[in-house]
Amino acid sequence: MPSLAAHVRYRNQIMAWQHEHEPSAPRVGDVAPDFDLSSSRGDRRTRLSAFRGKRPVALVFGSYT
Amino acid sequence: MKGTGRLQELYERYRDRVEFLHVYIREAHPKDGWSFAGPVMRHLIARYAPTAAIGMPDPTTLEERREAAGSCQLSAGHELPTVVDDLDDAVSSAYAALPTRLYLVDVEGRIAYAGGPGPYGFKPDELGRAIEALIPDPG
Repeated sequence: MPSLAAHVRYRNQIMAWQHEHEPSAPRVGDVAPDFDLSSSRGDRRTRLSAFRGKRPVALVFGSYT
Repeated sequence: MKGTGRLQELYERYRDRVEFLHVYIREAHPKDGWSFAGPVMRHLIARYAPTAAIGMPDPTTLEERREAAGSCQLSAGHELPTVVDDLDDAVSSAYAALPTRLYLVDVEGRIAYAGGPGPYGFKPDELGRAIEALIPDPG
Protein backbone atom coordinates (compact mmCIF):
# COMPACT_ATOMS: atom_id res chain seq x y z
CA MET A 1 0.00 0.00 0.00
CA PRO A 2 1.76 3.17 -1.16
CA SER A 3 1.87 6.12 1.14
CA LEU A 4 0.02 9.36 0.50
CA ALA A 5 3.34 10.89 -0.49
CA ALA A 6 3.76 8.13 -3.11
CA HIS A 7 0.26 8.85 -4.45
CA VAL A 8 1.01 12.51 -4.80
CA ARG A 9 4.39 11.83 -6.37
CA TYR A 10 2.88 9.48 -8.95
CA ARG A 11 -0.01 11.80 -9.74
CA ASN A 12 2.46 14.61 -10.25
CA GLN A 13 4.49 12.39 -12.58
CA ILE A 14 1.39 11.69 -14.68
CA MET A 15 0.49 15.36 -14.81
CA ALA A 16 4.05 16.28 -15.77
CA TRP A 17 3.96 13.58 -18.45
CA GLN A 18 0.70 14.94 -19.84
CA HIS A 19 2.04 18.47 -19.75
CA GLU A 20 5.12 17.35 -21.70
CA HIS A 21 3.28 15.37 -24.38
CA GLU A 22 0.04 17.29 -24.79
CA PRO A 23 1.49 19.94 -27.15
CA SER A 24 2.42 17.24 -29.69
CA ALA A 25 -0.84 15.29 -29.42
CA PRO A 26 -2.47 14.94 -32.85
CA ARG A 27 -5.41 17.24 -33.49
CA VAL A 28 -8.40 16.96 -35.77
CA GLY A 29 -7.19 17.04 -39.37
CA ASP A 30 -3.64 15.88 -38.55
CA VAL A 31 -2.29 12.67 -40.03
CA ALA A 32 -2.60 10.04 -37.29
CA PRO A 33 0.86 8.88 -36.13
CA ASP A 34 1.38 5.41 -37.52
CA PHE A 35 2.23 2.42 -35.34
CA ASP A 36 2.84 -1.28 -35.72
CA LEU A 37 2.08 -3.17 -32.50
CA SER A 38 1.63 -6.78 -31.43
CA SER A 39 -1.61 -8.27 -30.14
CA SER A 40 -2.07 -9.13 -26.48
CA ARG A 41 -1.30 -12.76 -27.33
CA GLY A 42 1.77 -11.72 -29.25
CA ASP A 43 0.66 -13.78 -32.23
CA ARG A 44 0.04 -11.05 -34.79
CA ARG A 45 0.86 -7.43 -35.53
CA THR A 46 -1.43 -4.56 -36.49
CA ARG A 47 -0.33 -1.49 -38.44
CA LEU A 48 -2.62 1.51 -38.22
CA SER A 49 -1.88 2.64 -41.78
CA ALA A 50 -3.05 -0.74 -43.10
CA PHE A 51 -6.63 0.53 -42.67
CA ARG A 52 -6.03 3.67 -44.72
CA GLY A 53 -8.33 3.75 -47.72
CA LYS A 54 -10.41 0.96 -46.21
CA ARG A 55 -12.21 2.00 -43.05
CA PRO A 56 -12.03 4.40 -40.11
CA VAL A 57 -10.32 3.32 -36.90
CA ALA A 58 -11.46 4.06 -33.35
CA LEU A 59 -8.47 4.10 -31.02
CA VAL A 60 -9.06 3.36 -27.34
CA PHE A 61 -6.01 3.97 -25.20
CA GLY A 62 -6.05 2.59 -21.70
CA SER A 63 -4.84 -0.02 -19.25
CA TYR A 64 -6.20 -2.47 -16.73
CA THR A 65 -6.22 0.17 -14.05
CA MET B 1 -10.69 1.51 -17.29
CA LYS B 2 -14.05 3.21 -16.89
CA GLY B 3 -16.60 3.44 -19.69
CA THR B 4 -15.81 0.04 -21.17
CA GLY B 5 -19.51 -0.94 -21.18
CA ARG B 6 -20.32 2.02 -23.40
CA LEU B 7 -17.33 1.21 -25.62
CA GLN B 8 -18.57 -2.35 -26.00
CA GLU B 9 -21.93 -0.95 -27.14
CA LEU B 10 -20.22 1.23 -29.72
CA TYR B 11 -18.12 -1.71 -30.85
CA GLU B 12 -21.16 -3.92 -31.35
CA ARG B 13 -23.00 -1.19 -33.19
CA TYR B 14 -20.25 -0.06 -35.56
CA ARG B 15 -17.81 -2.95 -35.81
CA ASP B 16 -18.97 -3.74 -39.36
CA ARG B 17 -17.96 -0.30 -40.57
CA VAL B 18 -15.30 0.91 -38.13
CA GLU B 19 -12.16 -0.85 -36.96
CA PHE B 20 -11.81 -0.70 -33.17
CA LEU B 21 -8.39 -0.99 -31.58
CA HIS B 22 -7.72 -0.98 -27.87
CA VAL B 23 -4.12 0.13 -27.42
CA TYR B 24 -2.97 -1.22 -24.10
CA ILE B 25 -0.58 1.21 -22.43
CA ARG B 26 1.23 1.73 -19.15
CA GLU B 27 -0.78 1.03 -16.00
CA ALA B 28 -2.48 4.17 -14.80
CA HIS B 29 -2.73 3.23 -11.15
CA PRO B 30 -0.16 0.52 -10.50
CA LYS B 31 0.25 -0.97 -7.06
CA ASP B 32 3.72 0.49 -6.91
CA GLY B 33 2.52 3.91 -8.01
CA TRP B 34 -0.72 5.84 -7.74
CA SER B 35 -3.56 4.04 -6.06
CA PHE B 36 -6.33 5.43 -3.92
CA ALA B 37 -7.49 2.13 -2.55
CA GLY B 38 -7.11 1.84 1.21
CA PRO B 39 -8.24 -1.26 3.13
CA VAL B 40 -11.89 -0.18 3.43
CA MET B 41 -12.05 0.88 -0.20
CA ARG B 42 -10.47 -2.39 -1.28
CA HIS B 43 -13.12 -4.28 0.69
CA LEU B 44 -15.95 -2.29 -0.89
CA ILE B 45 -14.52 -2.71 -4.35
CA ALA B 46 -14.01 -6.44 -3.85
CA ARG B 47 -17.60 -6.75 -2.70
CA TYR B 48 -19.42 -4.49 -5.12
CA ALA B 49 -17.13 -4.27 -8.12
CA PRO B 50 -14.99 -7.40 -8.13
CA THR B 51 -13.82 -6.81 -11.66
CA ALA B 52 -12.42 -3.38 -10.84
CA ALA B 53 -8.69 -3.37 -11.02
CA ILE B 54 -6.75 -2.63 -7.88
CA GLY B 55 -3.18 -3.44 -7.12
CA MET B 56 -1.91 -4.35 -10.54
CA PRO B 57 1.87 -3.99 -10.49
CA ASP B 58 3.33 -1.98 -13.36
CA PRO B 59 4.61 -4.50 -15.93
CA THR B 60 8.36 -4.44 -16.46
CA THR B 61 8.46 -6.61 -19.59
CA LEU B 62 6.42 -6.67 -22.78
CA GLU B 63 5.28 -10.17 -21.89
CA GLU B 64 3.91 -8.96 -18.54
CA ARG B 65 2.15 -6.11 -20.26
CA ARG B 66 0.60 -8.53 -22.74
CA GLU B 67 -0.63 -10.68 -19.84
CA ALA B 68 -2.13 -7.60 -18.18
CA ALA B 69 -3.82 -6.69 -21.47
CA GLY B 70 -5.31 -10.17 -21.69
CA SER B 71 -6.59 -9.91 -18.10
CA CYS B 72 -8.05 -6.53 -18.88
CA GLN B 73 -10.08 -7.90 -21.77
CA LEU B 74 -11.47 -10.66 -19.60
CA SER B 75 -12.11 -8.48 -16.58
CA ALA B 76 -13.63 -5.51 -18.35
CA GLY B 77 -15.80 -7.75 -20.49
CA HIS B 78 -15.13 -5.95 -23.74
CA GLU B 79 -14.25 -7.68 -26.98
CA LEU B 80 -12.26 -4.93 -28.65
CA PRO B 81 -9.20 -6.22 -30.49
CA THR B 82 -6.23 -5.29 -28.31
CA VAL B 83 -2.70 -4.35 -29.26
CA VAL B 84 0.01 -3.63 -26.73
CA ASP B 85 2.25 -0.57 -26.69
CA ASP B 86 5.94 -1.36 -26.34
CA LEU B 87 7.66 -0.67 -23.04
CA ASP B 88 9.15 2.53 -24.44
CA ASP B 89 5.54 3.88 -24.51
CA ALA B 90 6.27 5.31 -27.96
CA VAL B 91 2.69 5.14 -29.20
CA SER B 92 1.05 6.44 -26.04
CA SER B 93 3.60 9.27 -26.08
CA ALA B 94 2.84 10.12 -29.73
CA TYR B 95 -0.84 10.33 -28.85
CA ALA B 96 -0.35 11.83 -25.35
CA ALA B 97 -2.63 9.04 -24.29
CA LEU B 98 -1.74 8.32 -20.66
CA PRO B 99 -3.77 7.34 -18.66
CA THR B 100 -6.66 6.99 -21.16
CA ARG B 101 -7.70 8.69 -24.38
CA LEU B 102 -10.00 8.21 -27.38
CA TYR B 103 -9.36 9.04 -31.02
CA LEU B 104 -11.14 8.43 -34.29
CA VAL B 105 -9.06 8.14 -37.46
CA ASP B 106 -10.86 8.63 -40.77
CA VAL B 107 -10.42 6.54 -43.87
CA GLU B 108 -7.74 8.94 -45.13
CA GLY B 109 -5.67 8.30 -42.01
CA ARG B 110 -6.41 11.69 -40.46
CA ILE B 111 -7.70 12.46 -36.99
CA ALA B 112 -11.47 12.93 -37.12
CA TYR B 113 -11.96 13.11 -33.37
CA ALA B 114 -9.46 13.72 -30.60
CA GLY B 115 -10.77 13.17 -27.10
CA GLY B 116 -9.24 14.94 -24.15
CA PRO B 117 -6.74 13.24 -21.84
CA GLY B 118 -8.28 10.88 -19.31
CA PRO B 119 -9.76 10.39 -16.92
CA TYR B 120 -11.81 13.59 -17.29
CA GLY B 121 -11.60 13.79 -21.07
CA PHE B 122 -12.50 10.13 -21.60
CA LYS B 123 -15.97 10.37 -23.15
CA PRO B 124 -17.19 7.36 -25.14
CA ASP B 125 -20.42 9.20 -25.98
CA GLU B 126 -18.39 11.87 -27.79
CA LEU B 127 -16.63 9.15 -29.74
CA GLY B 128 -20.01 7.69 -30.63
CA ARG B 129 -21.21 11.03 -31.97
CA ALA B 130 -17.98 11.42 -33.96
CA ILE B 131 -18.47 7.99 -35.52
CA GLU B 132 -22.06 8.87 -36.30
CA ALA B 133 -20.95 12.10 -37.98
CA LEU B 134 -18.32 10.27 -40.01
CA ILE B 135 -20.49 7.32 -40.97
CA PRO B 136 -24.20 7.98 -40.66
CA ASP B 137 -26.02 4.98 -39.27
CA PRO B 138 -28.19 3.53 -42.04
CA GLY B 139 -30.81 2.48 -39.60
